[in-house]
Amino acid sequence: MSTDKATEPRPAVKGADRRQVLGGAVVLSALAGIPLYAWNREREGRDGAGATDSEKLLLARLSDLVVPATGTPGAVAVGVPAFVELALLHGLEDTASEDSGKVKMGGDRGGLPLLEEVKKGLNRHADAPFLTLSPERQHIALESYDAEAFAPEQKDHPWKKIKGLILTGYYTSEVGASRELQYELVPGRYDPDLPLPVNNRSWSSDWTAVDFG
Amino acid sequence: MSMDFDAIVVGSGITGGWAAKELTEKGLKVLMIERGRMIEHGTDYVTETKAPWEMEFRGEGDAKLYADEYPVQRLNRHFTEFTQNHFVNDKDNPYAVADGTKFNWWRSYQLGGRSLTWGRQSYRWSDYDFGANKADGYGTDWPIRYADLAPWYDYVEEFIGVSGAAEGLASLPDGKFQPPMALNVVEQHVRKAIAQRWPDRCLTVGRTANLTAPKEGRAPCQYRSICARGCSYGAYFSTQSSTLPAAQATGRLTVVTDSLVEAVDYDPATKKATGVRVVNVKTGERSRYGARIIFLNASAFNSVHILLRSRSEAFPNGLANSSGVLGTHVMDHASTLSTMALIPGFEDRTTFGNRPTGVVIPRYRNLDKKDGDFTRGYSFQGGALQSGWTAAKRSAGIGKAYKEQNRKVGGWRMVFVGFAESLPRVTNRLTLDPVKLDPQGLPMLNIHFEHGDNERRALADAKAEAAKMMEAAGGHVIMGFDEPGVGGSAIHEMGGARMGHDPATSVLNRWSQAHDIANLFVTDGAQMSSSACQNPSLTYMALTARACDHAVSLMKEGAL
Repeated sequence: MSTDKATEPRPAVKGADRRQVLGGAVVLSALAGIPLYAWNREREGRDGAGATDSEKLLLARLSDLVVPATGTPGAVAVGVPAFVELALLHGLEDTASEDSGKVKMGGDRGGLPLLEEVKKGLNRHADAPFLTLSPERQHIALESYDAEAFAPEQKDHPWKKIKGLILTGYYTSEVGASRELQYELVPGRYDPDLPLPVNNRSWSSDWTAVDFG
Repeated sequence: MSMDFDAIVVGSGITGGWAAKELTEKGLKVLMIERGRMIEHGTDYVTETKAPWEMEFRGEGDAKLYADEYPVQRLNRHFTEFTQNHFVNDKDNPYAVADGTKFNWWRSYQLGGRSLTWGRQSYRWSDYDFGANKADGYGTDWPIRYADLAPWYDYVEEFIGVSGAAEGLASLPDGKFQPPMALNVVEQHVRKAIAQRWPDRCLTVGRTANLTAPKEGRAPCQYRSICARGCSYGAYFSTQSSTLPAAQATGRLTVVTDSLVEAVDYDPATKKATGVRVVNVKTGERSRYGARIIFLNASAFNSVHILLRSRSEAFPNGLANSSGVLGTHVMDHASTLSTMALIPGFEDRTTFGNRPTGVVIPRYRNLDKKDGDFTRGYSFQGGALQSGWTAAKRSAGIGKAYKEQNRKVGGWRMVFVGFAESLPRVTNRLTLDPVKLDPQGLPMLNIHFEHGDNERRALADAKAEAAKMMEAAGGHVIMGFDEPGVGGSAIHEMGGARMGHDPATSVLNRWSQAHDIANLFVTDGAQMSSSACQNPSLTYMALTARACDHAVSLMKEGAL
């Protein structure tokens, strides 16, 4: 894992790549085909609430940059953006908080405004509109922004919350929990001391690890 | 008036279920009254087998709903989207706290009460505990000692099934155990390291009311560790899995749900309780039930609340309160995360399955010599675990390498959570709020609770000693705290109708029977005169079984 990016020179990335904007639109339309009951319910149930198209596009890009397709599907393919949108609307991960942990009850948009902060931060790190960049340049800009967010001196940072929700969305999806990781609802026994396989995969159903890990 | 029942049991949780079982098995016709909804064993555990991806909020729950309707319950670690249906809605069940104080009152109003959501840790108290009030003068002397309760501990453990290891410790007496669950590889190592350096300290596996062997229609634990969702295997003790079927088998049990006991009625002519007044929480309809004896098992604070509400000319300050101490001396353990440490050297080892208990280090301070700058003691609970995917939330990184890293089991860490004994203090007190009313139009319970200096000194010692023990085992301490959590955080709230020798200074006698009213028994946490530093539920159960035996003996003698 790279954790020292904050000390490296900021990548000088300029100029929009029109093909990537179009590519983003394709991603967005692909999202509409995913059975995202929660997202759709939210859209139907609220007047003007929910993410804007550009927020959805940003969420989709960020989700796949954090958890790309590898041997298993990536975040967009398993519907993470819709979960994050729902989660933001309902203030999960303290995203709709005013002060310390107090969830705001009034705002229709819940924690969605955090996405605007994240976008500004990314644009700053990219020296260009983040969504217009090529995937490679987006990766570099996000890596730099991520390093800033996780620097030891940082406490609250909007990206930590969004990234946390992306991770939750992925590792609690069926693919993330049971194909990328392992899931066993009924272990049936307790083995207190086993050799750890070299290519080990952790248990998404180890609830103690999920809580305290 | 007509006697509808031989006995009324108010509450269906850990002790209510026990009272119903014991009284029906001894031949009494019993009415058990529960304020919450019906929950049928198995069929009503609706989230039990759900995967996170089958839940709308992936198990984390709707934070917006929780902020609005569950602001207290949501602070409980066991409160999740999977378990929220087993906790109260705070908005519908308000309580008041004294100015400048806080209290997190975690509650489960439903058939089975908190027996469905409890931590299942089952420990005997010792004479260090029953003798503590007399020894240092805080609170009033317990009118019983370990020998009075030992046979009842045996009786209860054999019925509910407690798995654990016998260790021969004076401060935590052994019980009638099913085979213990195993310590994992790191816990075994830490146990040895502690024993080597401190012969008087013992790390052992948590004694838990989860079966490791089958028992009367109940299957052994499947190592899922999702108990609070409800367990259709019946592998942990709950009213539904254990005491309720036994009581129902007698054919003498009647259960009513959604029925809040407003007050206990008292007849000054006979000096006896005559029955209870009930309000249906769904319809608002009010009714009355009569019985020869009444057991209050509504949970510590709610049993006190009922007595405080039961005011009459004879008892203007609350029923059975001629002493004036009703509501006073409430307690909760002072608890905090004393230490968390990384334990290197076991990177190539792992476990399989989810053990529904941790480890315990029983009290070692101030036993036969005074070796702490505080009175009484503390104990630790905790365990060693390997981190999983949620560790990624604290890690920088994105992309393929990050994803690859996140799939691996993380490093070993170990935690010790300290539980310090809470001293009984007259100022920690439950009263009827003079102004605020609950949705039934009854005065709200007002809680005034604060931890004191003794608890803070104990937790400071716990933090220092926990770090030393981790380091002796080769651990690297990464954090530790000594400030106790908000009152209620241990979910061991107790006291308020304390047991004692003297009717002038206590509410109950040595049989959990009201000094003032012979046919009124309070056998939940309200009866406790001190808090010890171990989990109290097993002791409540033993006291309940003992009180039932005594009550029925008195009835047979014609004394009730």
